Amino acid sequence: MARFDTLNSAWMVWDNPAPAPEGAVLEYTRELEKFLADIERRAFRVAQVALRDPDDALDVVQDAMLKLTRSYASRPSAEWRPLFYRILENGIRDLQRRRTVRKRVMAWLPGPKEDPDNEAQDPLENVADSSPAIPEKLMQAQAMQQLEESLRALPARQREAFMLRNFEGMDVAETASAMACSEGSVKTHYSRAVHALREQLGEVW
Amino acid sequence: MGERDNEAFEVRSRALFHDSVDGLDMRIRSRLTQARSAALAAAHLRRPWHFGWKVWTPAAGVTAAAILGAALWINSPISHQSAVLADQSSLEDLDLVAASDEGSADAMEMLQDDIDFYAFADKAANSGPAA
Repeated sequence: MARFDTLNSAWMVWDNPAPAPEGAVLEYTRELEKFLADIERRAFRVAQVALRDPDDALDVVQDAMLKLTRSYASRPSAEWRPLFYRILENGIRDLQRRRTVRKRVMAWLPGPKEDPDNEAQDPLENVADSSPAIPEKLMQAQAMQQLEESLRALPARQREAFMLRNFEGMDVAETASAMACSEGSVKTHYSRAVHALREQLGEVW
Repeated sequence: MGERDNEAFEVRSRALFHDSVDGLDMRIRSRLTQARSAALAAAHLRRPWHFGWKVWTPAAGVTAAAILGAALWINSPISHQSAVLADQSSLEDLDLVAASDEGSADAMEMLQDDIDFYAFADKAANSGPAA
């Protein structure tokens, strides 16, 4: 720290401190915003594949963003992605557990049965699109829908490994960090997921 | 199912996923932007402690001012002067008490008169019925 010749000069510095901390905060916020903007859509689709319902997917993505910014934003930015996906996967699992409990409770109650997996489905999704101009797009959408169905049928850990490695493009170490398991487990889950998906979708897919 | 087939499958599934991400509708995109803004606002409200310098500044200021004030007071000539003055005033008090001028001699005589009076009154009270 600098020495001051007079008490007055010390007071002047005290009254007008250097702006470095505020600048550091701005830089850190900008970096965090860039990270979230880059990841949010893929994270939403990952959550939607697992949960089906877009509103539930939005909720878990928002929760993951809040938890990351509140609890882990001070960590090095290289750690944000695996941390974010670990929070997201925990949120997905919590929501799936709550759904299971709700289903069991609803089964005991009288009245019309509620299936939360089906309630959010748009009836227009099942209507065939007769427009001849977009057959390629339609085929791609159908292929993706088949893939999503097959992914939902996988064990949770296999689905997580496949989506993080293949969709999000994480390497084995990052995926292991996100899934809180060993790299060997990631390789096993991923390999099993690929074989199971290929078996379910068939050779023509 | 060979390795090459697996690779083709992985490439295709990745491409389909990224197409589906690009095709997200405006409602979802807008809600994701809102969620991001809310998360960043929360991060601003709850920064790591080392960024909260504004919180610590007043407390640090008061402490530094107190330390500076104490240091200056101990080393300043005023504190030495006041200590000398304090010594001087206590000596003066002793002088006043020990002074033996005319006024103080009168006061001692008055005190002696009072003692004589109280001795007389005590004797009178114990000597029988009042006159």
